[in-house]
Amino acid sequence: MKKDEIKRKSAANNTWLSKARKYQRILKVLVRLRFQNLMVFRLDFLGPFFVDGSLFIIQLLIFKAIYANVDSIGSWGSGAMILYIGTFSLLNAASMTICFFGILGIPYKIRSGEMDLYLSKPVSPLFRLTFECINPGSLLLVVFSIFIIVYGAKASNCRITVHAVASYLFWLVLMAFLYYIMEVLIRSVSFYLISTTRIEQLEEALLSLCFKLPGIAMYGIYKVIFYCILPYGIMATLPVQSMLGELTWKTALQGIFVVAVFAVITALVWKKGIRHYNSAGS
Amino acid sequence: MSKYFEIARIYMKAQLVWRADVVFNMIFTIARIVFAYLLWGVIFTGKSTVGGFTFYGMMSYYIVSSFLSQLEMSSGISGEISERIRNGTFSKYLIIPVNAEGYFAAMEAGIVLFYLIFDFLAAAAWIVIFRIQFVFSHDLISILCAVFMIFAGMFFMLQLNFYLGLLTLKYQGIGIFLMIKNNLVALITGTIVPLVLFPEIMVEVMKFLPFYYVTYLPSMLLTGYNQEEAVLGAAVISLWCLVMQVVIKMTWKKYIRKFDGVGI
Repeated sequence: MKKDEIKRKSAANNTWLSKARKYQRILKVLVRLRFQNLMVFRLDFLGPFFVDGSLFIIQLLIFKAIYANVDSIGSWGSGAMILYIGTFSLLNAASMTICFFGILGIPYKIRSGEMDLYLSKPVSPLFRLTFECINPGSLLLVVFSIFIIVYGAKASNCRITVHAVASYLFWLVLMAFLYYIMEVLIRSVSFYLISTTRIEQLEEALLSLCFKLPGIAMYGIYKVIFYCILPYGIMATLPVQSMLGELTWKTALQGIFVVAVFAVITALVWKKGIRHYNSAGS
Repeated sequence: MSKYFEIARIYMKAQLVWRADVVFNMIFTIARIVFAYLLWGVIFTGKSTVGGFTFYGMMSYYIVSSFLSQLEMSSGISGEISERIRNGTFSKYLIIPVNAEGYFAAMEAGIVLFYLIFDFLAAAAWIVIFRIQFVFSHDLISILCAVFMIFAGMFFMLQLNFYLGLLTLKYQGIGIFLMIKNNLVALITGTIVPLVLFPEIMVEVMKFLPFYYVTYLPSMLLTGYNQEEAVLGAAVISLWCLVMQVVIKMTWKKYIRKFDGVGI
């Protein structure tokens, strides 16, 4: 009995390991193909870095202008705000580097029937879509964001302890995941609607506005909307609050709950969407 | 002239097809005002003025500038020209018996006229809902100059976007440049924060540029600020429109020959 159980476990482990190895190999191929593609359109390589880099510099200038006239926004001084901008920039840069351009193509692939090519391959379609359009040019933006974060952390005079950094990193990873699932969720709606252009525009507008307004400025119904229903308000706010030591247990649990709920919703919408997909003309 | 009216009329009617665009345009106007309300609500806590603005003065500025920036819809023109040059369909504007720039101006006028009422309604609704004590200028000259600057500013932005689109004839791919331009324009037209909050030297430099007069100064004039700059502002933006027109003419003459009608 025990032997059978050990055998079963080892077989399961082997399957899991071989699956991981298979996906590792696929990832390598996708990265290689992407690099070949990028070498043809060289300006596109650094394009996102310049576009988003300019956006974040502008954002820094704006808050610098505001802080020239006031000492604090809510409980945050200029250092905390720089930390916030750096964190948002990092979340955006990580998404741009890894998955944004792949996820961006989902609506078109559903509309044109190109999704057939993804469903007929022996690999998870979402895995391939996530990693097939990595953008190494945005790595510069990651570096740039890290500099802003370090500068912000220094300027905010917060106590940089191992616990604070670990907590910040935990929230950063969690919010990067939330950022990713929100991207997938919004594009998965294409399985059911003819056009999601407006929803994508709304996402872009909300991201851009939440980038200008940290969650600490929200209250009442706005907090409910931007913390729970359209959770763009928490994405950079929670990591910064954790670094500053302002994050309460209640808010932390709420944040984790929101991520879990949206992960389940995204998985359901995606899986049902794949079943709903009728090839070209969906 | 009647053919340009016809183009404007067609584009105005065409907007009826895209009803969702109208709704979303109103949502974007409202969202900007709501976010400004939240952000400045926190900033003004315990303060009566910031950068010379009262809270209601600041909100009035945002309402007017959001309204104006939503009406300024010419940024798509450069993208369309660029796309059409790249795929060869720009020939359309060379064959039809209208001036290409005039065509785009008429198109813009038709779209703006359609959206004017909806954006106005969105802005007005928020003045009522938030019970904002809207600050409005009572100086007739300021109001007249602001209205003139709004039209001249929109025309300048149209000229700028038309010109940038034409640059595709020389540089082929200008997409990234256009995105950076959009980011910069949002800052220097004062739609994100009033320019008066920036250091004085920066504001003085911006006064030489046309963007200062596109959204920022008209919004300030209509909310009762900067009245001493009204007449000079109208003159400066007019001058920039003239300069831009000359630049467009020269660019068109120089590069249109490069367009072979088959795309890049």
